[in-house]
Amino acid sequence: MNARSLFIPITLVLVLGFLIGPFLIIVAASFSAGETLNFPPQGFSLRWIAKVFTVESFQASFAMSLFLAIGGTAAALVLGIPASYALSRYKLPGAEIVRTVVSAPIIVPGIIVGLALLRYIVVPFQVGITLALFVAHTALVLPYAVRVVSASLDNLRSDIEEAAVLLGSSRLGAFFRVVMPNIRGGIMSAFILGFVTSFNQVPVSLFLSGPGVRTLPVDMIAYMEIVFDPSVAALSSLLAFLSIGIVFAAERFLGFSRYV
Amino acid sequence: MFQNRAEALALALPAALFAAAVFLVPVVILLSDGFRSSAGGWTISAYTDFFSNSLNQTVFLRTLKLGALVTVVSAVIGYAAAFAIVSLEPGAKGRMTGLVVLPLMISPVARTYAWIVILGRTGIVNQAFQALGITEVPLRILFSETAIFIGLLQLFLPLMIISLISALENMPKDAIPAARVLGANWFQVFWKVVLPLTKEGLVIGGTLVFTGCLTAYITPAILGGSKVLMLETLLYQQVSVSNNFVSASVIAFILIVMSFAANILLKRVATARNKMRSRP
Amino acid sequence: MKKVIFASGAVLMLATGAAQAQEKTLTISVYALAQDEYKQIIYDPFEKVCGCKLVVETGNSVERIAKMEANKANPVVDMAVVSMADALAASRAGLIDKVDTSKLSNFDKLYDIAKDPNKDGMSVGYTFYATSIAYRSDKMKIESWADLLKPEYASHIAWPNVTTNQGPPALYMLGQALGKDTPDLKAAIAAVGEKKDEIVTFYEKSSQLVQLMQQEEIWAAPIGRFTWAPFTKLGMPIAWATPKEGQTGGMNVMVVTKGSKNRDLALQFMDFWLSADVQTKVAEKMIDSPANKEVKLSEAAANNLTYGEETAKSLKLIPSAVALDNRAGWIKSWNEAVGQ
Repeated sequence: MNARSLFIPITLVLVLGFLIGPFLIIVAASFSAGETLNFPPQGFSLRWIAKVFTVESFQASFAMSLFLAIGGTAAALVLGIPASYALSRYKLPGAEIVRTVVSAPIIVPGIIVGLALLRYIVVPFQVGITLALFVAHTALVLPYAVRVVSASLDNLRSDIEEAAVLLGSSRLGAFFRVVMPNIRGGIMSAFILGFVTSFNQVPVSLFLSGPGVRTLPVDMIAYMEIVFDPSVAALSSLLAFLSIGIVFAAERFLGFSRYV
Repeated sequence: MFQNRAEALALALPAALFAAAVFLVPVVILLSDGFRSSAGGWTISAYTDFFSNSLNQTVFLRTLKLGALVTVVSAVIGYAAAFAIVSLEPGAKGRMTGLVVLPLMISPVARTYAWIVILGRTGIVNQAFQALGITEVPLRILFSETAIFIGLLQLFLPLMIISLISALENMPKDAIPAARVLGANWFQVFWKVVLPLTKEGLVIGGTLVFTGCLTAYITPAILGGSKVLMLETLLYQQVSVSNNFVSASVIAFILIVMSFAANILLKRVATARNKMRSRP
Repeated sequence: MKKVIFASGAVLMLATGAAQAQEKTLTISVYALAQDEYKQIIYDPFEKVCGCKLVVETGNSVERIAKMEANKANPVVDMAVVSMADALAASRAGLIDKVDTSKLSNFDKLYDIAKDPNKDGMSVGYTFYATSIAYRSDKMKIESWADLLKPEYASHIAWPNVTTNQGPPALYMLGQALGKDTPDLKAAIAAVGEKKDEIVTFYEKSSQLVQLMQQEEIWAAPIGRFTWAPFTKLGMPIAWATPKEGQTGGMNVMVVTKGSKNRDLALQFMDFWLSADVQTKVAEKMIDSPANKEVKLSEAAANNLTYGEETAKSLKLIPSAVALDNRAGWIKSWNEAVGQ
């Protein structure tokens, strides 16, 4: 009995220490006064946090990543919500094929997706890198959008919209008036999940960079290749707190974890 | 269920066509490159060449080995952690789940970067080992398979834990007490009751972890470098240093086959156990 | 939701539209090193002079050449700075054009070795550097390139990967130290291969070395002089070796992309970069050694860089053609001996 009551706290401390410890080290290193990444940090200063805001390429790549994460996720939802609705409410011919095709981007390694897009879309069709990144991030988020929205549609009884249709509402009207309000939480959750996935994505974007166009994580790697100072740690901490803040707020107001 | 096929297709096709056009088609063309002969016909010589090279063999086996090892270890730790979390009261459970998910929100670049400091010769792991008298000379952990293993495990363990938490929660509440009453020890309870009832979660978690290991680029690049190549880093090197797109296509195909194979294999293992159990 | 899509679509169009509306845009491709300083010293002032917009792509030499190759039919960049050997590779692949040196007012002021490094008229050198060994003088003594592989040192060194700019020169010097300096570098590669398990890492990015040195993960590594300055700031006894075989090094050059629509602007930019004024400023920041002989440096900068024509001449460089003809072979023997 005693052994069992000890098992729970010990396991939790060890596992969480392993999972979160490195992050705490990064946070601590962000406030170091030293020239390189160090633990324990040498002294306390805000110089590296301040430096993050002065590196110009970070500003441009942050804007790019933000645009991709918001725009790409929104586009994935516009494609994904109708598809999820068809998959969950209709007898769709070839439903399995549709499901496989839209969820394929999760299984294929990102580095291959990036390379394939570069070789067969960007170069031959003279597509701009920004557009290619936008399309790639949309495709990447699509599986999550379909999965999360489908899950919330499946949890919603389908007879209410059938009733609405029987009562004379158009199918479209029934969807917007009856279904949408009920899956709003699921859509928001899909949006947040997609946002975080897209924002932290590296391999797809690795090959898709051009003069002046880079996503933030790729820019961070490029920066680290030149300068190995704690400013990357500082930037990582800031971004992590941003993500955590968004997810925390989402959980608080929408019950995010019910859908993921 | 609505029956209108035209409507269903109109709703589903944009997404499917989009994914096919920007995703499937380019990837399939890329993969077919590996089977093209210079004369224009089809050949598998790129594959025989690839596997006849001993460096490539080493890298392939290493990727397979690390992927499998990370999956197995994350399953073992994942069950322990998921058990511990599920047995908490609801409020604490939610907070703990949140903490487990937290690392997924942090850029993998930052998470991997931290290990350089932790695993170094003067890092905290070595300091602790030396203080405890486990080793006298600092161990070299960076730029080794061990470093990549640790990095990948930390990256993907949360996926396994959350899959197993939901599987354990869906298990009938009285299954474990019933087995205990019937005299099963904890090992038997796990093997005969818990594992069969949570196998779906294990398959999902296992597939996510294994596929994750095959698609992670940052971790092997930073913690292994060119000294300990994995298929992902080798692919990048082939493209950006050697300009060898045929070889890149071969590696891409191998990676995709490996993810699918892992998924099928895990499903097989799960159903095989199921059949054994239902035998009288 | 739809509004968001329209909004992002509009942003996208604006972004691409704006890029086209800009009248003069010069796209350059450079090493990722010291971009903040370059921007201050070269890019911003040049944008004022030319009234144009500079778009900068960064990356290592080989990666950027690979990209130029991929975009050969429709070149994206107008001019690039690459290593001498990569310039020859680009020229053989038909990616670059002859440099019209009559349009470079600073051309005559360059050191002779920088004027036409590959003797093909396709490139102009803007900086050169020595490559030697940075090492912890309290932990070890380095008198020869071969000392790095001594049993007591080998497990404390990083060696440049053969695919980096520093890799082949370092192997070339090791070969000289071993008394077997054939162009195929076989003996040197085999010697490194024997120690591959001990050597800490085969580095690709020199920035990481500062971190590894600071963590005492390594005590020594062959590096280019242009990455030396950060090591001096660590507060550790780190010295620059002068091995008895001598120092090696390399030269970085400017090239003009074939099919560039902004040829004159590219030449104007190159001339600006080669001017004594810009070269002095860059050197005083301890980034690139000057190739313009009119540059006079402060003592501090001169000590930290590879300064002066005499020094430049003393460096044992691998000829570009040798590097290029053997590169595939080097990588092959490296992968066989070291890679696994």
